Amino acid sequence: MATMPQPAPVELIPAEPQRLWGTPAVANFFLGGLGAGLYIAAALAARFGPAPSVRIASWLGPALVLVGFAAVATESGRPMRGARVLWRIRTSWMSRELWLGGAFVLLAAADLVFPLALHRVQASVAAALLALAQGFIVRRSRGVTAWDVPVMPVVFLASALVSGAGLYFMIELSLGRLPEAVVLPAVVGLLAAGLVVWLRYLAWSGEPAFLEAVRALRDARAARLIIGGGYLAPIALVVLARVVPAAAGPALYLAGALMLAGQLYAKTLVILKAGMLRPITLGALRLDRRLP
Amino acid sequence: MTRWGMVIDVRRCVGCQTCTIACMQEHGLPAGTAWRFVADIEIGEYPNVRRLFLPMQCMHCAEPPCVPVCPTGASRQRDDGIVFVHYDACVGCGYCAMACPYHARHLVHAADGYFESPTLSEQATARPERHGVMTKCTFCKERVDDGRSRGLTPGVDPEATPMCSVACIADAIVFGDFDDQSSRVSQMIADGKAQLLMPECGTQPSVYYLTD
Repeated sequence: MATMPQPAPVELIPAEPQRLWGTPAVANFFLGGLGAGLYIAAALAARFGPAPSVRIASWLGPALVLVGFAAVATESGRPMRGARVLWRIRTSWMSRELWLGGAFVLLAAADLVFPLALHRVQASVAAALLALAQGFIVRRSRGVTAWDVPVMPVVFLASALVSGAGLYFMIELSLGRLPEAVVLPAVVGLLAAGLVVWLRYLAWSGEPAFLEAVRALRDARAARLIIGGGYLAPIALVVLARVVPAAAGPALYLAGALMLAGQLYAKTLVILKAGMLRPITLGALRLDRRLP
Repeated sequence: MTRWGMVIDVRRCVGCQTCTIACMQEHGLPAGTAWRFVADIEIGEYPNVRRLFLPMQCMHCAEPPCVPVCPTGASRQRDDGIVFVHYDACVGCGYCAMACPYHARHLVHAADGYFESPTLSEQATARPERHGVMTKCTFCKERVDDGRSRGLTPGVDPEATPMCSVACIADAIVFGDFDDQSSRVSQMIADGKAQLLMPECGTQPSVYYLTD
């Protein structure tokens, strides 16, 4: 009986979930991005008017980053050797992350003690590079289909800025202040850009392994919570705050909380659900052997 | 130069897992950790169905993605192509396992035994330096190095050849030097029909597969 050869490549071993990076890794990626994004958001807002939250961001941002580092250290097999992670800055994004995190902490501390524009710019650059480094860590994970995509560092940077802006809103409002009027359109623009980046990531590849890996990110629940709750609802609330000043306080506080929660959920799904190890394939395998 | 590698003849493999057990015994691996295994795979749909045994292990890639990502330098590549982990330098962060497209790395958090308390054998083969760090196939580099130091030829002399290859009952796993054109592995891939797993990853594996 004649048979048709199977088109190559043939999937031999299916994708399976990675099990080494769990909740502590999510905590590191989320808190690192949040701390970095908060500082950048507060520092940028401070350019347009008084922003007392920048003082808070100068210690809270680094503190969040350090808590993230501490969390992920608990996940390693030999945490007491943690200092060795600094050694391979030339090739490893994990080493670079630690160096950039350290630089951010020191520069933000310098900003706190000596509030100079130079320190603030330097700390903001270090914070942005830290968020990018975390994205590159994930991007260089060649064994994980949904992480090994060039857009991943941009996804992490956008996520850091969105969550940081959300926390900035909440801090400003907790201090009894409304953010400067000019900040609101900028945040709407940031949310729109973040949404575009997220959608671009979800549609990055038509490869079956990629689509299967990001299935949990594309389903109705994720769309509701990340796209609806984390991007569209905050956009609507910020616009509402701009149009109806009387509602600005609660609207912006809720927007900030949703921006935070949306990014936490997105990063959790990216690491825990989309973290599928690449299926093992072999090209040009014939199936017609030994058939009569 | 030398570039160690393997050719696995899938047509000869019977899926007996002798290589798996030989590897575990040679390296004293704890329960639940296997640096190599033979996947029992059913491909296709009736009536075009085929059963395939695929021995899997570290591919000792010429461009190993696990090495540059390692933040401590514990993941290393020797001049002869063998990729290994320096246990004393590893923090067990797991990054190399994320970078490996072949599911070939194993983090041993604690050496689980097969019974409630360690057997005499497990006590004798315990390797505490491997706890909490990444482990993987080493191409039995100790056997290879020791054999070479005694003038033996890896891939020819069993004492200098990885245990999986020595133990294979079907002669399906052949080890040797790809830079030696007269070696058996070089001759097996000379006709260009041997395949690499996922060459699109650009890792240039040192393990070839012979299929139909």
